[in-house]
Amino acid sequence: MIDITIIQEYAPQFIAGIFLTLHIAIVSCCIGIIVGSFAGILLSQRVGIVRWLIMGYVTIIRGTPMLIQVAAMYYMLKFAGYSITAFWSAIISIGLNSGAYMSQIVLTGIKSVAKGQLEAAKVLGFSRHQTMWYIVLPQAVRAVIPAFGNELVTLVKDSSLASTIGVYELTKQGEIVMSQTFDAPTVYIVVGGIYLIITTILSLIVSWLDKKMQYHAQH
Amino acid sequence: MLSIKNITKKFHGKAIINDVSIDVMPGQIVVLLGQSGVGKSTILRVLSNLEQVDTGTIELDGASLDFKKVGMVFQDFNLFAHLTVLENLTLPLVSVAHVQPDQATKIAHEMLQRFNVASKASSYPMSLSGGQKQRVALARALCMQPKVLCLDEPTSALDPLLTSEVANIITQLAAQNIMIIIATHDIGLLENLSCIIYLMRDGKIVERATTDQLAQQPESFKFIKHFMQGKVVV
Repeated sequence: MIDITIIQEYAPQFIAGIFLTLHIAIVSCCIGIIVGSFAGILLSQRVGIVRWLIMGYVTIIRGTPMLIQVAAMYYMLKFAGYSITAFWSAIISIGLNSGAYMSQIVLTGIKSVAKGQLEAAKVLGFSRHQTMWYIVLPQAVRAVIPAFGNELVTLVKDSSLASTIGVYELTKQGEIVMSQTFDAPTVYIVVGGIYLIITTILSLIVSWLDKKMQYHAQH
Repeated sequence: MLSIKNITKKFHGKAIINDVSIDVMPGQIVVLLGQSGVGKSTILRVLSNLEQVDTGTIELDGASLDFKKVGMVFQDFNLFAHLTVLENLTLPLVSVAHVQPDQATKIAHEMLQRFNVASKASSYPMSLSGGQKQRVALARALCMQPKVLCLDEPTSALDPLLTSEVANIITQLAAQNIMIIIATHDIGLLENLSCIIYLMRDGKIVERATTDQLAQQPESFKFIKHFMQGKVVV
């Protein structure tokens, strides 16, 4: 069923695709964490207009298909006259998508910190910023690691949508190999298998990190 | 002197604290006694700036109360779960009181030794017993050198032996001229303290007595006496 010779022959393309997929996932993840953290913190502060703006952003991202977001970002930026590569357009759109979901994860983490600890911080004289930085965020981060891991795995898989605007990441490389070999089963199994390996490794790392931090907090 | 004058606090139109006045001298222990929900803890929360009064004034040594001079030990201790015992003490010292980290560590270690929890310095709150958490919470509050110390149900999670121990600690703190206000319904704690008791009901103070007065003339303080006997006077 699987033609090993195809894997051997097109290994450089697959490897190039893996690197580009990881590149997109890592940079998008960084954007997602930064955007999501700011958005989540601002949402928790309940500042009127800012809260509404963020809620609007989250609603749009969550309510529209990611495929549309990736394409819309690329073509709208082109239409607006910005000279941006498909690669960076994909990173921005995937990063912003991730940011919306991350904001909800961060918000959940912030809300998970016991109210009593916030009161203790206030009585001890901590300012709101100090309370957020020293008390809330360290605990929120620990609380959201499993959810963050899920988002990271989703992000790796979603990076395949970059192929729709011509980015030569893993899925696109697979399509090219398929167009040259006409061996769809082999290509899909190889590409799917590579995604599975990447996401499994990421899940194991996140699980290890979660266990390590839980252990750290209990001893 | 801490002077609480005619304070009132309402929640949704209902007075939780109703025209309460209390004076506390340095070294005095004041116990707010009463059933759950009568407003004892709310008075402590007002003193700790966690709630604002609707009317009335609170003064410390003739000036409006500076909340930085108030320490609070919560019923649930509220230790910072992600920090070690030592860090629970040093973080406020460094971040709020701007003490140098080395000095903060020294102060924290001394405080932990004083409360017999020095061996737990590197432990996390989750691994401590109720009594140990209580002592760490006390140590954390005292590191900030408060003039007024509020203790909310300090013995609710402790056995009788530890209750007696906490009473000894409170007495020692009062001897250092700290004004101590305790909200409790634990009669066991009262039996181990020399203090002024304010019995509260429906947000009001209905009776005041010192422990000496109570011992000499228990019949003169029927509300407190009956509360301690587990009876309700209507």
